[in-house]
Amino acid sequence: MKNRLRVLRAERDWSQADLAEALRVSRQTVNAIENERYDPSLPLAFAIARVFTLRIEEVFTPDAEPPPPTGEPPE
Amino acid sequence: MATDLPRRPLVDSGPFWFSVSVLGSLGGVWLAGQALRRYVNPPPWGFAILLVGLALIFLAGFATWKLARAGVYSWLLPLAAINLLLLQPGRAGDVRTWRLEWGVMGLVWTLAAVLVFARLLHRSDELERRLHLEGAFFGLATGLVGSVVYALFETRLPELRGQWVAVALLLSWWVGYLATARRYRWLA
Repeated sequence: MKNRLRVLRAERDWSQADLAEALRVSRQTVNAIENERYDPSLPLAFAIARVFTLRIEEVFTPDAEPPPPTGEPPE
Repeated sequence: MATDLPRRPLVDSGPFWFSVSVLGSLGGVWLAGQALRRYVNPPPWGFAILLVGLALIFLAGFATWKLARAGVYSWLLPLAAINLLLLQPGRAGDVRTWRLEWGVMGLVWTLAAVLVFARLLHRSDELERRLHLEGAFFGLATGLVGSVVYALFETRLPELRGQWVAVALLLSWWVGYLATARRYRWLA
């Protein structure tokens, strides 16, 4: 999962520690997410988006975009 | 971009308080043991040695508390392993009541450590819980393989003591934790 955490932090002049405090996680966890070593859980991903007042897909994008839906259920 | 936090200063780091606790435990137990071994006919310096030993044990406890306060829970694993080795019932000699006291003391401390560790884990975030889960799995898997290998060669190997198994599990849990932390760049 790709993310824009580093850029979003830079825009707000936040350190990893500032973000970690806002999310109530450790600085190391923010570092692991930022370096794309760890994909956060859904609740944490939503919390990250909320901290930046963005939608979750504006912060995280999947590595490979899924194919567009065809409107038909899979077999 | 705002600069990230610098690394912790040495006097506030896990390795520092781990070293203080280990030295306190080893030195304190050794000094207190020297003093108590001569309790029937105590030398003039016996009481002073006992006090210094008890002070070192207290210092070890304080260092352990500092480790927990700093949130570097992983250092508690090797610390528990070392203290389990220090509290082996076999070290109390052949006096049955002493062996019982040492064994009960070790059990009480181990249960307390497990409870404290569970509470600390509950307070840690999702990634650190995952690191411990994967580390504990590595420890368990290593323990299982090790016990089967030991069973194969048990007639040629020294008799296994219960506390050695606990120590090996704790240390392999710690190794698994460190390997997983490295994979997630947790220690960066």
